[in-house]
Amino acid sequence: MDPIMMKILDSSMVSICREMGITLMQTSYSTIFNEALDFSCAIANTDGDMIACAEFCPAQIGGMPLMAKSIIKEIPLDDIHEGDVLLHNDPYRGGLHTPEHTFFKPIFCEGKLRGFAVSIGHIAEVGGMVPGGFPGEATEIFHEGLRLPPIKIVKRGVMNDDVWKIILANVRTPRYNYGDLRALISAVDLGVAQMTRLYDKYGADVVDQTSKDLMDYSERRMRAEIEKIPDGIYAFEDLVEDDGIEDRQYKIAVEVHKTGSNIIADYTGSSSQAKGPINATLGVTMSATYNAMLHMTDPDIPKNSGCFRPIRVIAPPTTVVNVDFPAPEVGGNTETHPRIAGTVIGALAGVIPHLAMAAEGCTHCNFVFGGVHATSKEFFACYDIEVVGWGGRSFADGNDACDSINGNCRVTPVEVFEVRYPWRVKEWVFREDSGGPGQFRGGVGYTKNLECLNDEIIISQMTDRHKTYPWGLKGGLPGDNGATLFKIGGKGNWKNAVQLYDKASPSKYSNISIKKGDLVSLVMPAGGGYGDPKERSREAVMQDVADGYVSKKAAKNIYGL
Amino acid sequence: MKFSGNGLYIEKYVKCVNCGVIIYETDLPKSVDVGDGKVYCGQWCVNWAESRAERNSKKSA
Repeated sequence: MDPIMMKILDSSMVSICREMGITLMQTSYSTIFNEALDFSCAIANTDGDMIACAEFCPAQIGGMPLMAKSIIKEIPLDDIHEGDVLLHNDPYRGGLHTPEHTFFKPIFCEGKLRGFAVSIGHIAEVGGMVPGGFPGEATEIFHEGLRLPPIKIVKRGVMNDDVWKIILANVRTPRYNYGDLRALISAVDLGVAQMTRLYDKYGADVVDQTSKDLMDYSERRMRAEIEKIPDGIYAFEDLVEDDGIEDRQYKIAVEVHKTGSNIIADYTGSSSQAKGPINATLGVTMSATYNAMLHMTDPDIPKNSGCFRPIRVIAPPTTVVNVDFPAPEVGGNTETHPRIAGTVIGALAGVIPHLAMAAEGCTHCNFVFGGVHATSKEFFACYDIEVVGWGGRSFADGNDACDSINGNCRVTPVEVFEVRYPWRVKEWVFREDSGGPGQFRGGVGYTKNLECLNDEIIISQMTDRHKTYPWGLKGGLPGDNGATLFKIGGKGNWKNAVQLYDKASPSKYSNISIKKGDLVSLVMPAGGGYGDPKERSREAVMQDVADGYVSKKAAKNIYGL
Repeated sequence: MKFSGNGLYIEKYVKCVNCGVIIYETDLPKSVDVGDGKVYCGQWCVNWAESRAERNSKKSA
């Protein structure tokens, strides 16, 4: 092992992945990419191991290796040629959820296949029963859009037009989809070009051997971190509030077995798979487990498949943590992922509390909508991400209004949102007293009120935390939950989807028709608190009051000021 | 990947009943079929499931 070469190549490959991401961002059509950054870029080897990635979306980074390994199982390496681009979004064979489209382009050097440039992106409109791809009332995969098993969308450098026709005929916004899919392909094109330069510069044997050394190094670093945790079996449970179909809760249960430098996360005991779209795929559960461990270990460990080797996941099939065909799954990657990660963090919080955080809001809001724009006369569709408060930690308050831990995405700025879509953002304000009280307060949530400016917009949602509160840790109190509320014609009292539209769930629904002048209020959940609120410093409470995060009443009654 | 028994779907997914990974045809030599439609991806998963059952029965006792 040459540590200097390892550092040079690691930095070079991470830089290539960042460059791929910037290209994707700048060439894409939809706000989900160019504003929200819901994508990731990586480099994989021919075993399907991820050898480098950039700092984009943790859910996609952790899920990428299983997806790559699944592709190789179905398209043999000797059937992969220079100039090919492979596409895959099938949730049942390694994918994360239907919108997550993953592109693999082979890297050849000296006539030999060396690896793949990989781009994963959340396509905003994928067909199915609602515009925007998040049907909260889906009961089968066919409601959730077009499913693509591993296929070649480009063959030896030539676009596979038949595949393009099928894909674009099955979505509501073909022009945008074409632009976004081409942006994802441009990212892997760039990745292959830059990796080829790297191979030419350092030689194939050096790059391949150093990549292996790099993964071994990450494995050693992760094992060293795990060894600091006392051996034992640690259990935790959390609940998803409903599945959009039935008013009942679904359990995520984990037993974390820590022995030496190994972690086994066993999810046996979790609920059977739901009728509605909260189910996680195996890739999601693996990714969530890795995500939790990365949150509780040294952030400087190079992120590659090596750091996942000490972690084993047991996710029995036909459960809410490993969905089986043809059950729906679109919310598993956004809503159930942070719950799964949270159970691992909760399980280990008893023995490494200094590395744990209280529960976060655990939702991306997944407010999706579409319609015909009154001005452009073109169909629009949007997947809007909203963000949450994070849980308090042993050394700091939770982040205020920050994307849930699996996303690392951004909120689309108001100016862009209003130009692209026929909504007016009437109000966007932090929620006083929403952060779970604690020595270290939970991050606050916010309220965003929208007015419909179009004759009609069809909205759907797949969120959670409208009924279950984000838990606190070490004496910290729960954070406040969220809501989605409506006022028809902007008049009367705020009501939720159950009260106003006869839906089964206030947080998961499909195809509500919103008319011009109607108001929609997105209320985002906060994070749980950490430690006894009475232990919070007087200065911090006074600052919270001054900032409008904590009311004077709560400062007196809860914090004892 | 095979046609499903009812012919409606293209694929039949066979998953390890313990850890949930898909067992592809190339993985079959390592897999353990214990009957009743239960297939494990390997002996490690058989052992893990047995030890978990034993632990759980002790807990409930």
